[in-house]
Amino acid sequence: MNIIYTLIYLISAVLVITGFYIQGNKYLRSMVLTLAFQSLIIAIIAFMLGMMLKNYTFIILGILVIILRVFLVTYFLIKRIPRSLSYVYEPRVSTTYLLILDLIFIIASIFIVYSISFIKIKTIIFPVKNIILFPLLLFFQGLFLIASRRRTIAQILGYVEEENSLIILGTFLLPVPIIIESSVFLDVLILVVIFSVISIEKNVHERMEELRG
Amino acid sequence: MIIVPLIILIIPLIAGAFYKSIKNASVAGAILEMIMLIPLYFSLNYKGFFFITRINFIFILMVSSVYLMSLLYSRKYIEGIENRGITEKNYYLLMNFFYISMEFALMVNNYGFMWVGIETTTISSALLIITEKNDASLEATWRYIIIVSAGVTFAFISVILIYYSFHTLEVTAIIYRSSTGDLPVRLAVGIALVGFGTKVGVFPMHTWLPDAHSEGPAPVSAMFSGVLLPTALYVLYRIYEIYPMPEIFVWAGTVSVLFAALFLTYQHNYKRMFAYSTMENMNMALIGIGTGTYAGLVGSLVLLLAHSFGKAGAFYSTGEIMKISGTKDINNISGFMKNKIVSSSLLISSFAVTGTPPYGTFFGEFLILYSVITIHYYAQFIIILISIFIAFVSINLNVSKMIFKGDYKYNETNGSIIPLISGIIAIFIGIVFLVIINEIL
Amino acid sequence: MTSPQCQRADDVYLVIPMIHLVVETLSQYLFVILASPLFAGIFERLKAIIESRHGPSIFQPYYDIFKLLKKETLISFKSTRLFIVAPYIAFGIYSLIALIIPVFMSRPIIFTASGDFFAGAILFSAAAFVKIAGTMDSGSNFSSLGISRILSFNFFSEGTLITVFFAVALITGTNNPYVTNNYLISHPLSNLSLVHIFAIFAFFMIFIYESGRIPTQSEGLQEMGMIDSGIDYEYSGKLLAVNKWSSYIKQYLLGSVLLNVFLIPWGITNTFPDFLLNIPVMFLKWMFLIIIVLIIDTTMAKLRLFKVVDFLAVAFIFSILFLILTEVIG
Repeated sequence: MNIIYTLIYLISAVLVITGFYIQGNKYLRSMVLTLAFQSLIIAIIAFMLGMMLKNYTFIILGILVIILRVFLVTYFLIKRIPRSLSYVYEPRVSTTYLLILDLIFIIASIFIVYSISFIKIKTIIFPVKNIILFPLLLFFQGLFLIASRRRTIAQILGYVEEENSLIILGTFLLPVPIIIESSVFLDVLILVVIFSVISIEKNVHERMEELRG
Repeated sequence: MIIVPLIILIIPLIAGAFYKSIKNASVAGAILEMIMLIPLYFSLNYKGFFFITRINFIFILMVSSVYLMSLLYSRKYIEGIENRGITEKNYYLLMNFFYISMEFALMVNNYGFMWVGIETTTISSALLIITEKNDASLEATWRYIIIVSAGVTFAFISVILIYYSFHTLEVTAIIYRSSTGDLPVRLAVGIALVGFGTKVGVFPMHTWLPDAHSEGPAPVSAMFSGVLLPTALYVLYRIYEIYPMPEIFVWAGTVSVLFAALFLTYQHNYKRMFAYSTMENMNMALIGIGTGTYAGLVGSLVLLLAHSFGKAGAFYSTGEIMKISGTKDINNISGFMKNKIVSSSLLISSFAVTGTPPYGTFFGEFLILYSVITIHYYAQFIIILISIFIAFVSINLNVSKMIFKGDYKYNETNGSIIPLISGIIAIFIGIVFLVIINEIL
Repeated sequence: MTSPQCQRADDVYLVIPMIHLVVETLSQYLFVILASPLFAGIFERLKAIIESRHGPSIFQPYYDIFKLLKKETLISFKSTRLFIVAPYIAFGIYSLIALIIPVFMSRPIIFTASGDFFAGAILFSAAAFVKIAGTMDSGSNFSSLGISRILSFNFFSEGTLITVFFAVALITGTNNPYVTNNYLISHPLSNLSLVHIFAIFAFFMIFIYESGRIPTQSEGLQEMGMIDSGIDYEYSGKLLAVNKWSSYIKQYLLGSVLLNVFLIPWGITNTFPDFLLNIPVMFLKWMFLIIIVLIIDTTMAKLRLFKVVDFLAVAFIFSILFLILTEVIG
């Protein structure tokens, strides 16, 4: 296997690790920065692929990721972390418990997905090894992050993580036309802006009597 | 004739440009949109960047008319709200964007852009829910954003897989090709059921639906229930066309209808009650589409058309009741008989959404059940029949409790006429549609 | 996946003269038993130097053991025979492990056939169980406290240990540790593979925990931080010496598996007289490991007790991910 393939392979494993790191973390700022790092990794993978395959689509994708995800989204999110000390980190987070639940959740999801035999879908760019496992793992981690946290910011992080996994899935399978990809980026950006409007009023999401049943 | 769809998309933008008098400009724009339906009718079967057929023409008709009615109804309703989350002008601006994104998702000839359109509907409509700002509506907005976005994001995998299988995303290029049903294609259709199904209100992912419908202002709830969910259903239908999988679609719909009916039995908030009724109707339409027969498709279209007017009327009526009584609890409301306009519009529209015989919803449900029988899904047929019955009884029992029981405690004896009009349209439109479907469409 | 190495490993008894095998077996066993306290001594000395203390001699563990052997053994009147026997059984189990995993030779020796990687992992658990059972027998409150601590962490550490071995077995297609070692020597690219890296992480974290180093536990000066030494509370004299000695052996075994199977599988010679070269080679490898552990030990703060579970959970997650990757990617 080409050395760049091997490198990309190793780097994409880091994506899953950042997913776990965000899941087990309770400091909101550190979570946001880790997400920026995750986006940066995606951009690097896109650049590497673009350089190797001489395909400018990947390069544009990488630049878009860097501008929109690494900088703009991070900026909006960091700005929205409330200043008061009680919001610096999320209390009542039991790291072990969450990590193990996350592990169980993603393993169960992956086995379900693979029992519907995702495994037979060969990627065009990576002919040999089954690399779409990493985006799928990241996707389910994002879903679990949304489900397991109560803070607004943690839930939006889960959503952005999901979107990240889709970019990387698209990159590995077959890049979707860049115009659609970039509208996806803009959607996320606007959603983050909406989040910052809502988070002025509401930072924690608990069960409500009015919204039951 | 690319020009007609383009004009349809641009008119609300122009209306939004008159920001100072946006209230009137939007209504004028909506009336123009209704007029634009006529040239659109003559450009049917246009294939290019846009793709207009008889099917999405009906959807566009629905969207335009409910949009117009919602705008008219909003004029008084929004003024009466005291604690607004967004300003009145921004409300109309977002309504316009919401409308454009729905029209875009309906007309565009590309699965990727359809996805973008659906995602944009979420973005543009999210802030509309906090027009009446309180803790519950903020929470509902947030749930709406996060659950629907997560689900629709899942649907993007389906788009990727479609592109992977066909190397194009153009709808006309894909659906006229006889699909072989490769694994990626089947997977794409299944994932779309989960992903777009979140927006349609398929059972395990429906949880945002009652929250958003009950906390949003009445005209927005009407838009959600009447046209937003059908728009998502249209996209789902287009993906279903690639490779029909009746088994899972009909089962998903059946289970959702059953659960919606069960949820309906213990509701005490009338807006949530109508929200679950929406879930029931949407999943009936999903079943009709899922059977893959012509009768099922026509049934779904009739159901959706009549339902959109009926449900819009129902939500406008709840808006009136809410304004008069100040409560959302069914048990605190009594004797609305005295208020002739509100009570008759509520009664008419609640009959419309539960499928009482003269209404289009009845014929729609009848055709859908018939098509379920024709493909020999007997177990599903029985479950659906029981569920429809439960839903009918629970909704009408609650509505009649609100209207006929007890004394009228309020002074207000007047109400908006728009819900009544909407309910009356719902009576005719289904029959008219069934009569003329083979003539003009 | 039956590789040629696999067959070579099984046929090895037919080729090599019996006397060589006996000598090799004896030297591996004696090296493990005798040299293991030395590494602990070296570690303590180096740590002291970094902390600007003079520190004990590197032979201090030996002095301790000899001193304790000469002392009187006190046994609680409530305890049964198990209390007395347990340290010896544990020592015996560790001795057996020393014979079945490649800690000194990378070629099968006499007792290798008695178990595989799994047996190694499960024997580790068995030894821990025997020690705990013996300690519980003393009926002391302090011991029970220490043991409840140990047990609340062990379910992760042992799970990880077994998972890691399981996954290595999946990569190499065998659960014979010697074959694994040969496989990794002859397939240098496998050392760069993802699963292998995950395995190293997980195993290294477990090594740190099991050998009582700082992010997880600390012995000696700060008693609050100790987890594993809770076992030794009620023991004295000869029994304590045996207990200490067996924990040195345990550290050596885990560290050598880490070095010889995961980190640096190269450098071990197998031909008959040359195998004595393994003694300096193992020393060098251990110095490398000691320096890494020393850096971690002196630069990091000790985790709070409840954070240790998180630490082990991360190791566990690494190992499980590693298992999935092996299974799915293959």
